[in-house]
Amino acid sequence: MTVTAPRVPKPTVPPRVAPRRPRPAPGSRGLSPLRLLGMAFVWLFTAFNILVLYWLLTATFKTPIEIFTKPFALPYQWFERGDPFRNIIYAWSNAGFGRAFLVTVVLVAVSSVAIVLVSAPAAYALTRLGVRGSNGLTNFIAIGMGIPFQTVVIPLFIGMAKLNLTNSLFGMFLVYVALSIPFTVFLLTGFFRSLPDELEEAASIDGASPLRTFFSIMLPLARGGLITALILNAIGLWNETLLALVFLNENANFTLARALFSFYGAASYQSEYGGLIAGVAIVVLPMLVLYVLLARRIITGLTLGAGK
Amino acid sequence: MATVTYDSTTRYYAGNPQPAVDNLDLEVADGEFLVLVGPSGCGKSTTLRMLAGLEGVDGGAIRIGSRDVTNLPPKDRDIAMVFQNYALYPHMTVAENIGFHLKISKMAKSEREERIKEAAELLDLTPYLDRKPAKLSGGQRQRVAMGRAIVRRPQVFCMDEPLSNLDAKLRVQTRTQIASLQRRLGVTTIYVTHDQVEAMTMGDRVAVLKDGVLQQCDTPVGLFGRPANLFVAGFIGSPAMNLIPSTVIGESATVGGRPIPLTRAQRAELTSDKVVVGVRPEGWTIVAEGIDATVDVVEELGSDQYLYCSATTPQIDPTDSPDAPHAITVRTPGMSPWRPGEKLALAPHPGAVHLFDAVTGERLPD
Repeated sequence: MTVTAPRVPKPTVPPRVAPRRPRPAPGSRGLSPLRLLGMAFVWLFTAFNILVLYWLLTATFKTPIEIFTKPFALPYQWFERGDPFRNIIYAWSNAGFGRAFLVTVVLVAVSSVAIVLVSAPAAYALTRLGVRGSNGLTNFIAIGMGIPFQTVVIPLFIGMAKLNLTNSLFGMFLVYVALSIPFTVFLLTGFFRSLPDELEEAASIDGASPLRTFFSIMLPLARGGLITALILNAIGLWNETLLALVFLNENANFTLARALFSFYGAASYQSEYGGLIAGVAIVVLPMLVLYVLLARRIITGLTLGAGK
Repeated sequence: MATVTYDSTTRYYAGNPQPAVDNLDLEVADGEFLVLVGPSGCGKSTTLRMLAGLEGVDGGAIRIGSRDVTNLPPKDRDIAMVFQNYALYPHMTVAENIGFHLKISKMAKSEREERIKEAAELLDLTPYLDRKPAKLSGGQRQRVAMGRAIVRRPQVFCMDEPLSNLDAKLRVQTRTQIASLQRRLGVTTIYVTHDQVEAMTMGDRVAVLKDGVLQQCDTPVGLFGRPANLFVAGFIGSPAMNLIPSTVIGESATVGGRPIPLTRAQRAELTSDKVVVGVRPEGWTIVAEGIDATVDVVEELGSDQYLYCSATTPQIDPTDSPDAPHAITVRTPGMSPWRPGEKLALAPHPGAVHLFDAVTGERLPD
């Protein structure tokens, strides 16, 4: 026989409400004057950049008169005439951007890959193989970062001219790779240094040769660093103008930045400011998009190896 | 399977005139589980890494079986190693991690998979073979590291504090698993730890090192029952042995007014009239008249109770650790009614006294 106890109604407990935002640590919230100033600065800087970007994007679709009379209004004249992409088409066809785009993509891609291919083994050897004097060598390579390449343009040009490598995309490739190595090696040494020693020791006990350890253990682990190096170099080379200006003097070899430079002369002479700005946008936007897409990766890549 | 022999092995580190391992002579029998234990910086890891080929040897030789491996690279030594933080390859699956050595040594794929499967079953890793290490718990990672070692069927296992990254409960479990696995496989194993409980519970023999010098190598029972010198006496056993200096007058030393007789052989070995009398916490009896002590702290463990007492008798501390209490430790049955502040008189059990030469620190013959 079962006896059922009389049901006692449970006291109704109001459901617990978690705070929408947990309270921050005391003292971390106060608005000190310095913090206020810093925030103001950051926001002003951001606002300024967004404004410039906005101006660039809208001006791409404006007539010169619109650009100068209503710099911050939305474009309408080309839209009204039913030809909104007129500036872009003008820039693309008149400045030779079609070929320059192709040249730049190939040159930047090949150079960036080559830079990483050369720098990664170098950085690995400098950090991990315990070579005598590797610290000194690393510093020596790092000095290369401290020399502005503008100062060596003339001797570089003379040297390349003697080798018949001026006005040649291959010569340009060599110059780009050589000048980017110090930074890339320096960046990658930080990556390789942050990898634990035990992995190499485990690999050597497992019987892997140094070459095998590099390719099947260390390189996959440094992938984040390699990608960061690749992206940073690609962005830098994409925007590079001065060297292209000095070394390339034939339209067929022009990179985008170089083509834009020529186009600048022609377009401003014809007061074709809409087309000119469209040209600038064509050069700037691909890298901007790339950066926005990969920003997180680049930033974690840059700070990795800094801690610990 | 093979023996391991350290033959006057010495290792220096750059910029330090003191050797990290000093003239180490050690013989490990075939299939034996030898534990190297000592305080940090005593050279135990260096000893292991020299065997693995990860460190050079500056003097003497190391042999595996009859083979001199002193100058061989790690891959030619036929050893496997388990690292403290496992050193699993993060971009490879569990199966690839375990099979990496077999792959490098160009074993046929079918045989390789067979061996990996076998090792995984032994370690309960079969469901995880396709996972990456990042998706495993600490204990599972530890087992993968073990799997990577046993799949090779090496002559020697080297284990460098393999349990120190596990939480306390898992550590106790894994401790017995490793020990039983080793007995089953019968592979000679050298195991480094700073945890004396691991050392005492796992090893067939335990080698105690200090400042790169081997202090004593014996079975856990021998180490605990007959410590060879003051350092081992103070290092092995928790809480540590009480070490009380005394002077020999006539045929005996005195502790707290009680005579501790010395045999003729013991007196013959003495280099001066100073001795150290060692008594473990469980070696005291509470008597009416003896060493007067006052209870400072009561540590209740349930099954046992430790009384930390201050006494007028001075104590010495051979481990030189600054936080070691200079007080007498007494073990009493659990749940005893002792309270801080109470007074008691202590006398050592006649059979529980260890005698050491105060000058050399060596144990006097029994």
